[in-house]
Amino acid sequence: MTSWRASSGSGARPGEDRAPNASEAGAGRHTPGRVGMRGIVKRHGSFTALAGIDLDIAPGEFFALLGPSGSGKTTTLRILAGLEPPTAGTVVLDGEDVTAREPGARDVAMVFQSYALYPHMTVFDNIAFPLRMIATPQHEVERAVRDAAAKVHIDHLLARRPGQLSGGQQQRCALARAIVRKPRLFLLDEPLSNLDAKLRLETRVELRKLQRALGVTTVYVTHDQEEAMTIADRVAVFMEGRIVQVGRPQDIFARPASAIVAAFIGSPPMNLLPAEVHDGLLKVAGVDVPLARPLGANGPVTLGVRPAALRIADRGLPARVYLIENLGDTTIVDLDVAGQVIKLRTEQPPALHEGDAVHVAFAPDAMHVFERDSGARRDV
Amino acid sequence: MKRARTVALVVLAAALLAIWAFPVLWALLTSFKTERDVLAYPPTVIFTPTLRNYHDVLFGATSLLPNLLSSVIVAGVSTLLTLLLAIPAAYALARLDFPGKRTSGFYVLATQMLPPVGLIIPYYLVLQKIGGLDTYAGLIVIYLTFSLPFAIWLMVSYFEDIPHEMEEAALLDRAGRLRALWYVILPQARGGIAVTTIFVFLNAWNEFLFAVVLGGNRVRPVTVAMFNFISVEQTLWAKLAAGAMLAMAPVILLGLLAQRHIVKGLTVGAVKGGGRR
Repeated sequence: MTSWRASSGSGARPGEDRAPNASEAGAGRHTPGRVGMRGIVKRHGSFTALAGIDLDIAPGEFFALLGPSGSGKTTTLRILAGLEPPTAGTVVLDGEDVTAREPGARDVAMVFQSYALYPHMTVFDNIAFPLRMIATPQHEVERAVRDAAAKVHIDHLLARRPGQLSGGQQQRCALARAIVRKPRLFLLDEPLSNLDAKLRLETRVELRKLQRALGVTTVYVTHDQEEAMTIADRVAVFMEGRIVQVGRPQDIFARPASAIVAAFIGSPPMNLLPAEVHDGLLKVAGVDVPLARPLGANGPVTLGVRPAALRIADRGLPARVYLIENLGDTTIVDLDVAGQVIKLRTEQPPALHEGDAVHVAFAPDAMHVFERDSGARRDV
Repeated sequence: MKRARTVALVVLAAALLAIWAFPVLWALLTSFKTERDVLAYPPTVIFTPTLRNYHDVLFGATSLLPNLLSSVIVAGVSTLLTLLLAIPAAYALARLDFPGKRTSGFYVLATQMLPPVGLIIPYYLVLQKIGGLDTYAGLIVIYLTFSLPFAIWLMVSYFEDIPHEMEEAALLDRAGRLRALWYVILPQARGGIAVTTIFVFLNAWNEFLFAVVLGGNRVRPVTVAMFNFISVEQTLWAKLAAGAMLAMAPVILLGLLAQRHIVKGLTVGAVKGGGRR
C-alpha cells in the first residue's frame, strides 16, 4: 500500500474528515505533529526487526500500529520516540530530521505498557515531573497538573503514590503525565493491555474522546485488531518487520491487501479457502462458484469470505456442521468444508445440529481473491 | 494446631536468637565486671557491677576515644568514597553499553578473588615507597581496593532490578541521563544504597589485618587499639569487653538508621514489584 506524502498537497487525504479538530487545536496557525518515517531499518545482529518502514501521519491524526507480537510495531514506536536508533532511515517531525535527536529533544510524550510511573513520587509529582524538568514556575506546575489530572479524572488522587492506585488509575496517571506538557506527539504502547476487559472498553472510548479534545497527533501500538479498528483514524498493519497495509479501518476491513491481513482482521477473521481459477471460473471444494467479475489469469488462488457474508443455502459449497457457538446475540457456526473448518456468523440462530450436512453460499461481491503464492490481493 | 505451630516457631526463634545474642550479652556482662570477677570459676552472673572499665577505655591512660575517631575517619571516608565511585560505576555497568564492558566487569570481580593476606606485603611495599604508611590516605585507598568491587557488584544488581522504562520515561520527560539517575533511579535504589553503605562501613570498621600492618601510631583504629589489651602476660578481658561495646555502638546506630531501607533492600527482586514503591 502506498503511503501519501506530507508534501503532496492538501488533496483528498485520510485526515480530511477530522479537520475541525485540527483547527480547534491550532486556531488557524500551523498545527504541529506531522510525522514521517523514511526507509527505517532496524537490525539486531543478524535479526531484522524492521525491514524498511515508510510512514506518514497527519497532524491531529489518531494512528494505530497494529500487528502480532514481534512484528516490529513497538520497535517503530521506540524509534519514533528516540529510545532506539534506527540502523538506517530517517525520522522526520514537522519537516525536521530528528533521527539523531535525544528523546527529550523531540517534544514527544509516551505512555508505556507498564506505565513506568515513578514509584517513589506522589501522583502529583509524577505528573509534574516533565514540567519541573524544564523549570516551569511552581504556580504554573500546580495549575497544569490539576488541569491534566482533571481531564483523566484522577484529581482526587494527587497525594497518593502509584503503588496505592488501581491499574486503571495508574494508567490514567501515566496519561496525565503525558498530556500535561502538551507535546506535539503522543506515543502509546499498548496502554490498555494491562486493564481488565470491561475497563479496557471504557478506557478505549475515553482515550478517543480525550485525543479528539486535545487534537494531538497520536501513535498507538496494539496487537488487538478490534481496538485498532475502533479507535484509530488510520491503521498500519505490521507483519514481520514490514508494513503490509495502511488505511482507514473500514478500508482495511473491506479490502485487505493480502491474505495475511485478511486473516488478522475481523472477529472471527476472514475465512480462507484454497481455490482455482480456470477459464473465468472459480473452483472451490470441487464446486464452480459464480463470479461477479472476471478473475484474471488461470492458476491457484486463495478465496476469502468474511464469516458474516456466509449463509446456509440450498446450493453452494457442501459442508458439514462441526460446532455451533452461541454467543447470545450472534451465533458462530463452524463448518467443515472439504476438510477445512470455516466460520459462519449469523444473528438468527440457525436450526442446525452438529453433524448436519448443509450447503454454504455467499454473494459474488463478498469474495476476496488472493494469489496463492504471494498472498497478494487479486483485484477483481 | 495453629497455636502449637506458633509456639514452636517462637521457641525456635528464641533458641536461635539466644545463640546469636549470647556472646554479645556475655561481653556486655563482662564489661561491667572487675578483672577478678571475669576470671572467677565457675563464671558468675551475680556480681557487683563496676563502671571502672568504661572509665578506663574512655578517659583513662588506655582511652579508646582517639582510636574510635581514627576508625570513624577511616571507615567513614572510605565508605563515602566507595559510594561516590561505585554508584556511577555500577549504573554504567548495569545500563550503558560501552566497549570493554564485560572485561571491566570481570576485572572488577577478579580483584575480589585474591586472598587479602597475599596482598599485604605488596601493599606495604607500595605504601612505603610512596610514603603512605601510617597515613589515613594510605589506609583508605587500600580499603577502597576491597570495598569498591564489592559495592559495584552489589549495586549493579539493584540497578538491574529497576525497569528500563523508568529511565526511558525520564528521558522522554526531558530529564537527561544525569537528572534521570538523580531523580528517578537513585531514589528507587536507596534500599540497595543503604545495604551497600552498611556492608562497606562494617567491613572497614571491623577490619584488623590491614590496619595493624599498614597503620601504626598515628592511624590506629579501634580494632588495633583493642588488640593491645591482649598481651603476653595477661589479657584484660573486662577492658576488652568494654572496648568492644564501645566499638559496637556506632555500627548499631548506623544499623538502626538504615534498618528501614535494609529490609526493603534485601527483598528487592524477591517478589515481582516487591521492594519498590
